[in-house]
Amino acid sequence: MSAFLHELWTDFVPTLLSAMVTNFEISFIALALGLAIGLPLALLRDRGGGVGVGVSATIIALMRAAPTFVVMFFLLNVLRDLSLFGVKLAMSGVMTVAVSLVPYSAAYVADAGVEALRQLRRGSPLGALLFLPNVTRAFFVIVMSSGAAAAIGVPEGISMILREAALLPTLGQRLVVFAIGIVLFGVPLQLGLALMRWLQRELGRRTMAA
Amino acid sequence: MRWRFPGGLLACVLTLLAAASAPARAETPDAALAALVEEAKANCEHPSDRLERILCNGRLRSGVREYYPLFGTREGTTHLGYEPDVSRAIASKLGVEVDFVRVNAASRIPLLAQDRIDFAIATMGHNTQRDGQVRFIRPHYYQSETVLVAPKALRVRDWKDVAASTICVSVGNGSNAELVSRNTRLMLFDEAGVLPDRLRDETCTLAAQDDSFFAFYFTDPAFAAQFEPKMGFAQVPWGMGVARTGSDKLARALDLVSQIFHRDGVFLDIARKNRIGTAFLEKQREVWQRPECNTATGSTNKDCILPALDTALQPTPFVGRVNELEDWFEKIFGLDVTLPMFKTMPALSLFVNGVVNSLILIAGALTATLGFAIAFGFALGSESRLLRWPARLVTVTLQSSPIVLTLVIAAAFANAIVPYSSAVALVAAILALGLSNGSNAGQAVSEAVVSLHHEGRHSGMGLFVQALARSATSIVSFLVNAAKGTPIASFIGAPELLSALTDITSFSSGRVTTYCLLLVFYTVVVMVVVWLCNKLRAWLERGEVRA
Repeated sequence: MSAFLHELWTDFVPTLLSAMVTNFEISFIALALGLAIGLPLALLRDRGGGVGVGVSATIIALMRAAPTFVVMFFLLNVLRDLSLFGVKLAMSGVMTVAVSLVPYSAAYVADAGVEALRQLRRGSPLGALLFLPNVTRAFFVIVMSSGAAAAIGVPEGISMILREAALLPTLGQRLVVFAIGIVLFGVPLQLGLALMRWLQRELGRRTMAA
Repeated sequence: MRWRFPGGLLACVLTLLAAASAPARAETPDAALAALVEEAKANCEHPSDRLERILCNGRLRSGVREYYPLFGTREGTTHLGYEPDVSRAIASKLGVEVDFVRVNAASRIPLLAQDRIDFAIATMGHNTQRDGQVRFIRPHYYQSETVLVAPKALRVRDWKDVAASTICVSVGNGSNAELVSRNTRLMLFDEAGVLPDRLRDETCTLAAQDDSFFAFYFTDPAFAAQFEPKMGFAQVPWGMGVARTGSDKLARALDLVSQIFHRDGVFLDIARKNRIGTAFLEKQREVWQRPECNTATGSTNKDCILPALDTALQPTPFVGRVNELEDWFEKIFGLDVTLPMFKTMPALSLFVNGVVNSLILIAGALTATLGFAIAFGFALGSESRLLRWPARLVTVTLQSSPIVLTLVIAAAFANAIVPYSSAVALVAAILALGLSNGSNAGQAVSEAVVSLHHEGRHSGMGLFVQALARSATSIVSFLVNAAKGTPIASFIGAPELLSALTDITSFSSGRVTTYCLLLVFYTVVVMVVVWLCNKLRAWLERGEVRA
């Protein structure tokens, strides 16, 4: 057992950590695109007039309802056969997963953005700043969701865990690998959530003081 | 006087009796071929069959592949591999020269119909669908099977070991339907050529493709050191093909040549020279050496020849109307809409089951999420540390585990308890989705319990019901999340709609329409769930106001 654990520590854990970089890469791209799409939608939802509000509300509702996993397979199977102005729309595996997470991140950013704009209108800039911890929360949700990339063969953290587990003969050994995966994914998540709670507390304290 | 039977007369009688009682000696394929060739050569003035033209011109046009390692490749002007060598042997047997014409999987049948080649020997599997397009030569000159290739360290003994596993395949491969029926999950690639690279870069742990395809890669020592074929299935006989019209005599000649080549081990020697698998050819040599097969009519004897692979899928009763609808879309909107799920019975069955299973999965995930939310909320909000702390530990663990990993762990536990089946995968997915979302929702309920305590409310069921009402927004958001997460269940082999449609597109066309429909289906279903959940939230919040 100790030889098994030693091998995991020296071989598997470094491999997993380097693969998890892909999860963060996917999440950064998804959040950046989500901000680029979600913020204009939030502005339109808040200040767009009758038609603008209707259009943005519909788009946000559709994006909120689109399941990430299905969007990923849709992009993978539909876009690769299409081209726009002669340019092939096919994307790399990482981009496919990142773009599939955009409906979620854009809808989340739009919702949080609308709330922030309302807080600003009410004269509470600190309340509006709660937008930041909310976006942080979205980022970590996206990191956890990016494991879906394993389904299309992107070599990220979950793929590595599953590949390692598939080679192990006993359920006990596989559970050890799964546990390492949970710890390595969980630590950044819990740290991120703690940071978000601290930010919320801090902003709340300052709001009360103001 | 003793009567003596004359010895010479006895010998004559016995010989006549033996001749009369023995079966009539059948004509050999060699004699039949010689007679056919002689007869064809006599018609050079007015050739009516391709065999006559070949023999009179002295040239045989053979359609071969040029990029199928070990079976048909070209280096400069030289054609190499098993199939060009068989072509040369056939030409030599007929006493003519061979001209090679390049063909591929798409062009080999049209080139026969256009009379640009005399026969195709180009890795063509003999199935019932192709029987209507070309005349296949019997006996078959080779047989391939689909092999499952994986790293040597991976233990695969039978189908049970790969149930719920992801297998990389190329779209349209004939064996995909069988893989689907074995409860595996398919990862589709457009070209088979990428599969070895995807195994090497570890994108794929398992890949399925023809053994003839992998044979070349196993000649690479590095590849062979890392991977091995785990098991074979879906055997397909390969046949030479000739045009269905104007080639009767040529087909007959090739039937006889193939018989002779099997009997005499010519195919076997050529296969050995080209380092391809010989197990099928060794068995065939035994078959064609048997007296009942080694006759001029052996190629029509059902005890000697192999049947074509039956790949015809039963059409649905309304396939005609589906075709009309597709044409209507094309005509009115200019859209290339393809609906493979409504055209064949196996696809329709997969589709209907996929829709039903998706709805069961969504209903189950919602129920489980609500149930676990109440359970976790109760435990996390409890005053007893014995309940609170374990619940907190489980909640933090579930929050820290990506949903895909939670699903895989749930499936691993389920499979350790009961043998894998689609129903087990469905139940495991419901529990995983329920636990993952229910623990988060439960945390929100417990926070509501704490806030009610701070407001001076007393413990008891009344307080807990108020906490549920107060945390209604969070509960609803995790219920919606659970519904949205259900397609991920396909990852562990739950037969929901995404899984079903991926299976359908693996053996039929129409990927664009199929995945568009899938996206619409799930988006509409989630919107309905959102609407229902908002009703639930309103009801719960009215409850809090009343309290």
